[in-house]
Amino acid sequence: MPVPVKYDAPASVAELATTPSSASWQALYEQHSRYVYYLALRTVGDPTLAEDITHDVFLKAYRNLDQFRGQSGLRTWLYRITINHCQNTQRAWQKRNIISTGDPQALDAVAANTDSPLRVLEIKELGQKIQQTLEALSDEYRLLLLLVADENLSYQEIASLTEQSSDAVRGKLHRARRAFVLEFQKNS
Amino acid sequence: MNPDTPKQRLQHRQTEEQSTEQQQTTGQQAGLAFDSVEELLRYDNLQTTPPPAIAKRLKVSLEQEPKPKRSWWQRLFGGRDSE
Repeated sequence: MPVPVKYDAPASVAELATTPSSASWQALYEQHSRYVYYLALRTVGDPTLAEDITHDVFLKAYRNLDQFRGQSGLRTWLYRITINHCQNTQRAWQKRNIISTGDPQALDAVAANTDSPLRVLEIKELGQKIQQTLEALSDEYRLLLLLVADENLSYQEIASLTEQSSDAVRGKLHRARRAFVLEFQKNS
Repeated sequence: MNPDTPKQRLQHRQTEEQSTEQQQTTGQQAGLAFDSVEELLRYDNLQTTPPPAIAKRLKVSLEQEPKPKRSWWQRLFGGRDSE
């Protein structure tokens, strides 16, 4: 189980509200941008869109610093903005395009061997393969897997970000892992 | 071990990155094996660096922004505004 590590106390946020070029903002960007960009990239599947989303997330965070109450970690807050932004982007995209998604129920019904390790032979195509696998999953499973991969988030924080109970997160994660492994093996 | 202090976290991250580099080297010869989906995604995350263009764009955007509002706790505990 991921253990939450809080390395962004609200005190440091006070420094963030000073100037945009402050060292605090740079530190904030360096500390979190990899995670925000990765979540955006693997959610929307387009590097250019992910770039725009990452930029917009940090800009939005700057504009709404007064709304950050320090009750959650900064990472969790940035993830919340990222998730909302990705959902809006995807909604706008889906309005213009017809997409076909895999049936998550059908995927669940098939037994997947989750005990054996996921073997990868070709590293240069790994990102592409992971993207294909994630795209075959439901939006909810994809998001849960991407969030749980961040060791800084607890199940409680993931539950809060996805608006459900921790127990529901645990149950769905179990199915999401199975669905991922099955799809990953299919692409191997 | 779960890192608790910034120093421990840095060491933890460095160890993780070293381990990733080693894995990658090994992987080029014999492939990689991940025990869990999370482990695979963490590895993928470490291989995915945000393009430097984002930081440059963000810097320009932030310089054009007005100073953000102060939160309730900053107003309460933060003292006077610095000019």
